[in-house]
Amino acid sequence: MSADVPKDDAHKHWLVRTKTIRRLWILFIAALAVTVLFDFIVDRHGRFGLDATFGFPAWYGLLTCVAMIIGAKALGTVLQREDTYYDHE
Amino acid sequence: MIEAMPPGLVLIAGAFLLPATSGVARKALVLALPLATLGLVWSIPDGPALTLVFLDYTLTPVEGSRLGRLFATAFALMAFAGGLYAVNQARVVEIAAAFAHAGSAIGVAFAGDLVTLFVFWELMIIGSTLVIWSAGTDSAYRAGMRYTLVHLFGGIVLMIGIIGHIAETGSVTFEAMHADSLSRWLILAGFLVNAGAPPLSAWLPDAYPEASPSATVFLSAYTTKTAVYVLMVGFAGEGVLVWVGLYMVFYGIIYALLENDMRRILAYSIINQVGFMVTGIGIGTQMALNGSAAHAFAHIIYKGLLLMSAGAVLHQTGKRKCTDLGGLFRSMPITTVCGIVGAMAISSFPLTSGFVSKDMIGQAAGDQLLALVWFLLAAGSAGVFLHAGIKFPWFVFFQKDSGLRPPDPPWNMWAAMSLFAFLCIGLGVYPAPLYAMLPYAVNYVPYTSAHLVFQFQLLLFSGLAFFLLLPQMKRTLTLTLDFDWFYRHFLPRLCRAVASRGSETRRRVEHATMTRIRLVLEPFFRFHRPEGILARSWPTGGATVWVAVLLAVTLVIYYWQGAR
Amino acid sequence: MISLHLPALQVVVPLISAPLCVLLRRGFGAWLLATVIAWTAFAISLALLAQVLSDGALSYKMGGWAAPWGIEYRIDRLNAFMLVIVAGIGALVMPCAYHSVAREIAPERQHLFYAAFMLALTGLLGIVITGDVFNLYVFLEITSLASYTLVALGADRRALRASFQYLVLGTIGATFILIGIGLLYMVTGTLNMADLAARIPALQELRPVRAAFAFIVVGAGLKLALFPLHLWLPNAYTYAPSVVSAFLAATATKVGVYVLMRFIFTVFGARFAFEMMPLGEILMVLGLLAVMVGSLVAVFQTNVKRMLAYSSIAQIGYMALGISFASVNGLVAGIVHLFNHAAMKGALFLALACVFYRLGSVELDAMRGLGRRMPLTMATFVAAGMSLVGVPLTVGFISKWYLVVAAIESGLWPVAVIVLVASLLALVYIWRVVEVAYFREPDGDAPEVTEAPAAMLVPTMALAAACIYFGIDTELTVGVATEAALSLLEGGP
Repeated sequence: MSADVPKDDAHKHWLVRTKTIRRLWILFIAALAVTVLFDFIVDRHGRFGLDATFGFPAWYGLLTCVAMIIGAKALGTVLQREDTYYDHE
Repeated sequence: MIEAMPPGLVLIAGAFLLPATSGVARKALVLALPLATLGLVWSIPDGPALTLVFLDYTLTPVEGSRLGRLFATAFALMAFAGGLYAVNQARVVEIAAAFAHAGSAIGVAFAGDLVTLFVFWELMIIGSTLVIWSAGTDSAYRAGMRYTLVHLFGGIVLMIGIIGHIAETGSVTFEAMHADSLSRWLILAGFLVNAGAPPLSAWLPDAYPEASPSATVFLSAYTTKTAVYVLMVGFAGEGVLVWVGLYMVFYGIIYALLENDMRRILAYSIINQVGFMVTGIGIGTQMALNGSAAHAFAHIIYKGLLLMSAGAVLHQTGKRKCTDLGGLFRSMPITTVCGIVGAMAISSFPLTSGFVSKDMIGQAAGDQLLALVWFLLAAGSAGVFLHAGIKFPWFVFFQKDSGLRPPDPPWNMWAAMSLFAFLCIGLGVYPAPLYAMLPYAVNYVPYTSAHLVFQFQLLLFSGLAFFLLLPQMKRTLTLTLDFDWFYRHFLPRLCRAVASRGSETRRRVEHATMTRIRLVLEPFFRFHRPEGILARSWPTGGATVWVAVLLAVTLVIYYWQGAR
Repeated sequence: MISLHLPALQVVVPLISAPLCVLLRRGFGAWLLATVIAWTAFAISLALLAQVLSDGALSYKMGGWAAPWGIEYRIDRLNAFMLVIVAGIGALVMPCAYHSVAREIAPERQHLFYAAFMLALTGLLGIVITGDVFNLYVFLEITSLASYTLVALGADRRALRASFQYLVLGTIGATFILIGIGLLYMVTGTLNMADLAARIPALQELRPVRAAFAFIVVGAGLKLALFPLHLWLPNAYTYAPSVVSAFLAATATKVGVYVLMRFIFTVFGARFAFEMMPLGEILMVLGLLAVMVGSLVAVFQTNVKRMLAYSSIAQIGYMALGISFASVNGLVAGIVHLFNHAAMKGALFLALACVFYRLGSVELDAMRGLGRRMPLTMATFVAAGMSLVGVPLTVGFISKWYLVVAAIESGLWPVAVIVLVASLLALVYIWRVVEVAYFREPDGDAPEVTEAPAAMLVPTMALAAACIYFGIDTELTVGVATEAALSLLEGGP
């Protein structure tokens, strides 16, 4: 237990302390950067042109995921119901 | 000529034996039966091993093939791990039904003719329905009934297709065919119902999560994967399957993203994963078929693992909704680790079984220069990580602290989980044994720097999207309507509106459109209800009138026929 | 020596036992005699089947009088098979009857019940075995009169009304058949089936032959409860004593179907019936209506016996449908379903007899939670019920398969769809019983019941076992049905 831990964090599991989470974010962003930087070293030899662009898997993964989440939310506004919807059947 | 007995019969016969045993004997049997089956599976040589005459046909109930052996091996492994997972907790009827279900699935994997295939196909329905019902809850009972009706409908489609095919070709052999006539389209449709293909896919997320924790583990493996097997044998290279498969990939992702029930998330993800396999079958090259087969094998293991970890959570907490769960990593470390291993495997993380299997399908699409298919599969892979790879472990084991502190599950449950987690990583690190079982020679190297970089970038940035949009992903107490709305909500309400006469005016206001439909349906119901004209006891005189009418009509017809 | 006279003994033995039952004046004695006789008849029928299977069709001259003058009993594969079905069901029902009859029928009437039962058995066996159309009519009347009596013995007062209705409509049916036979005799001068078959082709343009055909088909339709001539059946089966329902449901309507087949194919000939007369179309329409209406009405019933009665109407529709194709596979479906339906309906009605013996009711509500209280009975019900649905490895699947094959061979895909959708309806109504028995808790005031006595349970389970055995080993049933179908289509006896 180091002294600079904020008071309400002291009783928490180490994994969910604010500081750990900040460190995890830093580590995550570093990992993101490293994987993209590997594009300089490794030739991913794309077949269709677009997939040979720099950092294609990265931006394609990010954009399609955002699109899927937004698409799902949009569909959800139409199709989502209370989860007791079928209970009175 | 009897050279071999169907390996699945061991499990089916065992299913009847189990309830008669008790104590240690029963436990030993639960573990021994799948292993004995596995031994038999590997004792069947390639080619017809058993023929017999049934009805007017010469059947081949057992015919060995590389592909059948691969699927049967996965099925037997699943029966073993599932049995271990369930042995101390589940009701004996559940394990017995699951073994009958598994045995029938193995029967399909060795069926050399369409009649045998159909017989085992229908037996699978019975087994799986009993597995669902063994949960003993009212919701499981009703979900099981819906499940049965959908599958028996699929069975009807399949049976008409098979008989039509036999009538056209005169052959009962189950071999590669093309969807070029009505009967073969019907066979394809019957297969696809079990694969969870649209539009009837809702049976899967509807029924599986209502079963008991261990029952869902069993269910996840057999029905859809036998469908993958028969599609692979019967319809490899059928172009329409590419698009059916891609639809399933994205259907699974979108619905799983909206879902709150942890096991229903995983159920949608089964459809998503089977979508990858179906796409591979549609592409139909050796690379694609190897990919689909390998992916099916890997999928049975990691999906079993994911559902085991979800089942462990349900068993320990009694809760199944993401909104009620969270923070369980503190007290259930083994379950958490196993869940994460399963989640990494389904996401095709390097060093897991998904990494060495799924991308063969993408590779095949690339090799065939199917650009759109390739880009959609890549997006699908990103989406898998999103909906199953992160969403499931995050909301169950992390996110907020739900305050729940359940311990890890009993030893047999975590032993089963550990076994499958070991296999997930083992196959990822050393894929050679899996590749050796595939139907065609494997010309694929998973661990190349290009593949590794691609996969890391794709997955990590999908993860970034998840955490950036986390507020959008907040779980709500909702379900998402699907095609089953028609038979769960619309049709029952319609029937009730027709069958009961109370508060008619209110209903007429509420369902202005429905009254029109009622005009058509009401006479139908009026006739068949107990007081209806077709159901009530007739006075003798009235009945006699019918006799006179029929005699008069036939006489007139016969005379007229003679006068012609 | 005896083996030469087996055809006569098949009918005479049960016939003689009927008055003996009356003379015994005791329920138990009559039951014992009837049981022994029923099993003897079963043994004779098996011997006859074995004889026919090895030597081909055999002819027996009653009293030594040669064919056109005397009565000829002519046994080919079809009626040897039918004899086994009828006598077999009779033999299996009798052990059940002792307990069931003791509960449902007053002691002073029990010996009369067994006498009537033996007469009904005699009549059914006689109809099947004879090669003479007038003799067939006589046996038809014997079995009908005995059946009216048996139905009227039901404990419910409504049994009397049901029996009366059965009597009126059954008599109309028998009369129609007699009129048809009379017309045929008028133009041909013979009553022997073989003679009729030889002479009708030359006379088939005559109106009396056509009228005879119409009268006989409608008359037989009444006897076999072909939709819409089925109206006597639901009440008769619902209110009759339990074992009577089981016996009649498994045999009487089947014999009606046999009579129809015999007249259509043997006497009139397939060419006359299906090419000159539009019988195929008529039977197909009525069969399909029977299948759909019978199944749908069954879904809505709350009395399980009544539900099974409507299910029988649907199943008879399947047989009519099989005949209507006038093809080998269609006829195989029809003939094999005679056997299969006898086995499964017999098992189902006997299971209900067990339920009624313990519960005193076969209303759906009364059967709550019965799966735990009478596990063997209900397991039997489920096995036979699955057979009715047509699950693979049961007899129902075999019938369904041949019917769909026949439909698709004729290019009638919609018919195949209707057949299979109706099998889902069968699942729904069987399911309603399973749901109540296994998934509902019994009422608090429900009587404590235990399993039915072994004497009732064993025959019931034997029939259910037959439903599964003959669904896997089809050599006997499908083999005999195929040869019978081939010889029927060739024409002539």
